[in-house]
Order: sequence, then C-alpha cells, then structure tokens
Amino acid sequence: MTKMLTRRVLLGFFTIIIVSIIIFTGVELLPGDACTAFLDRDAFGKLLENCRENLGLNRSGLVRYFEWAFAALQGDLGVAANGTTSIGELVGDRLKNSLFLAGCSLSVGIPLAIFLGVLTGLKRDKPIDIIVSTGAIFAMTIPEFVSATILILIFSVWLGWLPGIVVVSASAPVQDFFPEIILPVVVLAMVMTAHMLRMVRSSVIDVMSGDYVQMATLKGVPYWRLVFQHALPNALLPAINVVALTIAWLVGGVVVIEVVFNYPGLGRMMIDAISDRDLPVVQAIALIVGSAYVGVNLAADMLTMFLNPRLRTMYVK
Amino acid sequence: MRKIFLATSMLILGMSSSVWAAPSGTLKQAHDLGFGENSSLDPISKGRVFQMTDKLMDRLVRPSTDGTPGPDLAESWSANADATVWTFNIRKGVKFHDGSSLNADDVMYSFTRVLDPEIASPARSAVKMIDTMRKVDSHTVEFSLNTPFADLPLTLMDYRLRILPDGSGDTIAQTGIGTGPFKLQKLDFQGTTTLVANEDYWGGAPGVAKVELIAIPEAQARLQAFMGGQLDILYRITEQQKTMLDGSNRYNVAQVPTGNWRGLVFRTDVEPYTDARVRKAMRLVADREALVQLVQGGAGNVACDSPVAPNDQYRANISCPQDIAQAKALLAEAGYPDGIEIDVHVATLEPTWPTLGVAYQAQAAEAGIRVNVVQTPSDGYWNRIWMKKDISATRWKERPADQALHEIYLSTAKWNESFFKDSAFDELLATARRELNFEKRKALYVKAQEHLYENAGTLIPYTVTMNIGSASRVKNLDTAIEAAVRWHLVTVD
Repeated sequence: MTKMLTRRVLLGFFTIIIVSIIIFTGVELLPGDACTAFLDRDAFGKLLENCRENLGLNRSGLVRYFEWAFAALQGDLGVAANGTTSIGELVGDRLKNSLFLAGCSLSVGIPLAIFLGVLTGLKRDKPIDIIVSTGAIFAMTIPEFVSATILILIFSVWLGWLPGIVVVSASAPVQDFFPEIILPVVVLAMVMTAHMLRMVRSSVIDVMSGDYVQMATLKGVPYWRLVFQHALPNALLPAINVVALTIAWLVGGVVVIEVVFNYPGLGRMMIDAISDRDLPVVQAIALIVGSAYVGVNLAADMLTMFLNPRLRTMYVK
Repeated sequence: MRKIFLATSMLILGMSSSVWAAPSGTLKQAHDLGFGENSSLDPISKGRVFQMTDKLMDRLVRPSTDGTPGPDLAESWSANADATVWTFNIRKGVKFHDGSSLNADDVMYSFTRVLDPEIASPARSAVKMIDTMRKVDSHTVEFSLNTPFADLPLTLMDYRLRILPDGSGDTIAQTGIGTGPFKLQKLDFQGTTTLVANEDYWGGAPGVAKVELIAIPEAQARLQAFMGGQLDILYRITEQQKTMLDGSNRYNVAQVPTGNWRGLVFRTDVEPYTDARVRKAMRLVADREALVQLVQGGAGNVACDSPVAPNDQYRANISCPQDIAQAKALLAEAGYPDGIEIDVHVATLEPTWPTLGVAYQAQAAEAGIRVNVVQTPSDGYWNRIWMKKDISATRWKERPADQALHEIYLSTAKWNESFFKDSAFDELLATARRELNFEKRKALYVKAQEHLYENAGTLIPYTVTMNIGSASRVKNLDTAIEAAVRWHLVTVD
C-alpha cells in the first residue's frame, strides 16, 4: 500500500514537471513577450529596452526556465510581470477565491446531485425521473455564459434581488463575497449537478439490478434499509471519481463564469497572464492546477480503495 | 414664551437649510484594468489609469465648455511676438493633497519628466516643441519652444500632462498626489479604489463625498453592473448595448460626438499604393454615410480622410461622396482596368473592424476591387499586423488638429502608419505652426486636410459618437468626453 502510494506521488511529481515545461514552451512560442504585450503601440526604442531589462527578458528561454524552476523548488515563485508584485500573494489570493467558490458550489451541488440521482434511479421512468433527467440535459447543454447571463438578467436587472457582478477586490476576506457569490454558485451547481446526477442515477440502477439486491429482497429485507445500507454505499463509489474531477475543474477551469461575473479567481488570471505573456504567473498557476488534478485524483483513488476492500488486494501478486 | 421659542427654532431651521451643502454621496465608476499589473497613477506612464488621474490631478490648461483652452492651474498665459516663448502665470494658494503649496518648481518638474528621453513617456511626442523652461518667479514659468507655435495652450490640454509635486516621480505611481478635487484613500487596481473629496480644492469642494473606481475588465460585465445599479456612470456604451437602456427612466444616455476614428490604412510604401491614383480610388469607393449607418448604427459623423475632430476649430469642410465611376477610371489609368484583388486585415480587438471590413468589401466590389477580409488574432495585433501588412484596420483617439496631423502623417512620425512621406505636406504643417494669424493658420490646416483627401493612404470614413450612460441619481455631469468633465461639479441624490 505505501509502496503504491509513494510510486503514485513520484509519478505525480514528474507529471507536474512535464506540464510546467510544456506550458513554458507554449507561451514562449507565442509571438511577443511581456513587454510588447504591455506597451503594444509604444513597444519600441528606449521604453521597450527599459522594460525588457527590468524584467530580465533579454536572456534566453532556457536560462529563464531553469532559474524559475530552481526558485520554485525552494518555494519562491517570483514576481509578476510588472517586476514588483509577489506571485505568492497574487496567486494565493486568487487560489483562496477559487477554493471558496469551489467549496460553496460543491456543498450545494453534491448533496443535491446525490439526492436527485438516487431519487431518479429508484423511480426510473416514472414522471419524476423524466422531468429531472430532461432538466439535467438542458442544464448540461446550455452554455454556462448563457445561463449566467439569463440569471443576471432576471435576478439582478429585472427583479433586483441579487447583485449581478462581483465588485469586491481579490484580496478581500471571503465573507465579503456574499451576496454576490450566490448567482455564480447557482450556475456552477446547476452544471455540476446535471453531470453528477446522471452518473449516480445509472450507478443506482446498475446496483439495484444486481444479484445480491435480489437476494436481499427475497430474504425479506425492508426496502429502505436495503437501499441505504446495501445498495447506496456501492452505488456511490464511482461518484467519488466524478467528484474528484469536478473539484479539479472548479479550481482552474471555470474561466467563463469568472469572466461573466467578474469573479477574481484562478481561471481568469491564467487567461489574462497568457495574454500579457506574464510567464511567472502562468507557471505558478500551471503548478497549482496540475497539482490539484494529480492530488485530487490520488485522494479519490485512495478513498475508493479504502471503501472498496476488493481493490486493496488487486495489486498484490 | 412658547411663541418666542417657536420663532427662534424656525429661524434656526431656516438658517441651517440655507447653509451650503457639504459633499455627500458616493459615485461609482468602472475602469477596464487594461494594463493589469502594470497599472499606475503616474499620468505619463503607459499604464496610467486615467479614470483616477483625471480626478486626482490637474493640468495647466483644460478644455472649456466650447472646446477652447481655459485656465486650470494656469490662470493666464501670453506669448511673445513670434510665439516662440510662452509665459504661464500659476494660480496662487493651491495646495497638493499632502499639504505642500503649488509653485513654479512643481510645474517645471512635471514637464521635465514628460520631456525626459530616459523615461520615454508616450506623452513626450505631444510636447516635443518645448525646448527649455525657465522659472521667472515662484508662480511664473516660461516655456521656450524650438519652433514658433501659436497653439501651445491647446496642446497643454492633453489629459496626460498633469502637474505633480516636485520630486515625486518615484512614488507618484502609488500615491497619486495632485491638486485635484479628489484625493486617494485606498488604492486597489484589481478591485475597488476609493477616492475622497478634497474639501480644500481650489475650485470649490466637490459635490460627492466619495468616488469608487471598480476594476471590471469585461465590457458586458460593466454593462450588467450598470444596469443592476452597481455603477453610476458608464462610458463608451456601444449601439447594440444602448438598446437595452432605451426607454428606461432609471438611466440617461447622452451622446457626445468625438474625434475618435476607425479606418483602413493602405501602406503608401508598397505596390500598388505607391501610386496616388490607386490610393484615391480605394478611398473613393467608400460610401461614408452608409458606413456610419452600417458599422456605427448611425452614431458617428462622416469624415473625409481627415483625423481632425468634427468640433475642432481647424476642421476642414470637405465633401466626399462615393464616386464609383471616378474610382474605376483612376484604377484603369494606373494600370488596373479589370480591377484589383486586395487583402484587408481586421481583428475583433476593435469590435467594429470586422463589420467595417465587410461593409467596405461590398462597396468596393462595385468598382471591381475584390476585397478579402482577413481575420487575424487580436493578441499581438499592434505588433504583427498594424504597420506590417499592406492593408490593416486602425483606430485612434481624438487629438487636437495639429497633434493628430503630426502624429499620423508627418514623414518622421513614429506612428506614421501609412508610411506617408510627403515633403509638401510636411512643409504645410511647419508653416501652419509658425503662422500667428488665426485665419491664415486655419487656411493652412484646411489645405493640409484637403491634401490628405487627395493623396493619403488612410481611409477615415467617420468619427465615432460616444454614448455615455448615467444613472438618474447622477446630476450635473458634463456632457463631454472624460478629459473635459468637471468632476467637482457632479452630485448624486
């Protein structure tokens, strides 16, 4: 078990290194650099020279990558493209905001998805199942920015019940994000729930048609005890992996929501940093998101193995 | 006894209600955080957030309500006989936000910074005619120019030429200390920056107590914040967005004609645009009135390839109707009797460019000019497409006539996007600057614009009319471009 664990951690570490190299090369290959991006029409002559000198951009890509890598290994992520703001602070704030948004969305989305998934799985093909499943398909297919804009129109402009856009700064404490965070959470939870509930539903249907469930019914086990004690624990195991991927997605991938609601999270910062050719920030975010995917997947696998004893002995010869 | 008491209390109430109202309320505005981490409160740096510097600092000269130069920190000015030496009298009794008094040293320091080639500010090109400065006394400064220039006050109206305290260059980007109607309370470029009223402002205490400037990079998000009441003012609302605000009494939308323009640049240094006839033909096929309707939804003024603003005093009155027959004839004469195929490069960097490209394509087709509208990425447009490809789209913010003509068409100008090298034109500009008589000067600038209409490589079909949205609670907001608004007069209910 520990051998497997250390192997997975080492593999994860190498994955992140490779990711950082690929992303660095990718952004380097884009035309222009941080100074031309900032100065645009004024990018020539003394102004450009000064800028490049300040940021050390007149050295080769290889040199800059290794300098960054050595510093990062020691925990120093460097400074942003303006030469002064510390990345630790900058990205740290955005990470906190993304985690907060992820946390709120998950705390709404997961219970809802499990509840609806079980409900529709048990009541398969009944009216409730048809309504909820169709609703889920709508929520999955309508793009997030469409549902976000519609919600803002209804709740912020017409009814005036909720503020539409986040106007709080990135470094504010998380409680300042209420009530502006309500609409983004609703949109994210909608999308998340739609995906997860269909997964839970098919899993429940699968389990409920299994042999041991039939056996328990024949033995006379009461229905609800059957569902909660015997069927559900098995049905929910695959959901753990979906939840893991969802968590990783929420940390770095919800750019559209962040842009529409002006939410100061990691996704938007990544896009802005690429467009500004701000390599230290891009690398820092790549590290964080990469680690999130690796870490969360590892945790999910560990949890599944813990809950499902059959998997524990799978690797033993 | 009771009667006396009642009478006295009525008297006191009456007196207090006539006491002049102190600044009250909060004004909320957005900025687009265009420079991200490089945002700065230094008015001459590339990353200046002008929504903040406009309120924190003053210029020597400001546009008055009719557009002519009016006094700001300079009370009056005069020139010598041939307009090579200008003397400015600085207002007395003005204090910076940190308590120090404004004097000639501060003015000289501010302009020395702008002219410093090491700092290499983009604003330097506006004031290159200033050779040296001399402090006459504590409140008088003398500018010596390297060419006679009758319009120096006009040039000093530039929104970037703000007066800073002497020696504040190293810290000004974060402190924003100036003489303006508002002072900095909390700086947060990425979030909400708060400015508070400067009660000792030399122009009188401002009408609002606080101004909040919120960073919202996305145009759609800004509109939604405005519609939801999170912003009180919104500039540069597009025609499509304006339809959402029509018919509501919660917002007022004012329209201001500006000198901002969008156009197509044909490089005059590459074939076939080296031939003036081909250039003229390219511009003759444009039905400018139709372009205003199609591209701007009617919110624009026709321009005849002149970068001079519609309400500028040097604007030339040229008529430029579409003339397909003449365009065909010119092309045939230049050796293209069967028309010509061209590539026009656009990007969504400026949302109206693709529309402009397609509309132009349809109009040019009538003269046998087959246009390919080439979409290019917005990212890096100014480095890879503009001033590189044969034909590219461009946009400019308004400037005074002299500045616009120099910055865009002078042979040696940095941003001479069409590589227009015409010594006759350069000569016209130089003569105009030296001419002291207004009528004669105007005639020369008009001649320069007519010369551009005949020979230039840049199609300037229209200037843009800006839509300004304000919530109905905002009062006394000047209907003008941001650089001309008197922020201390604005009040909110």
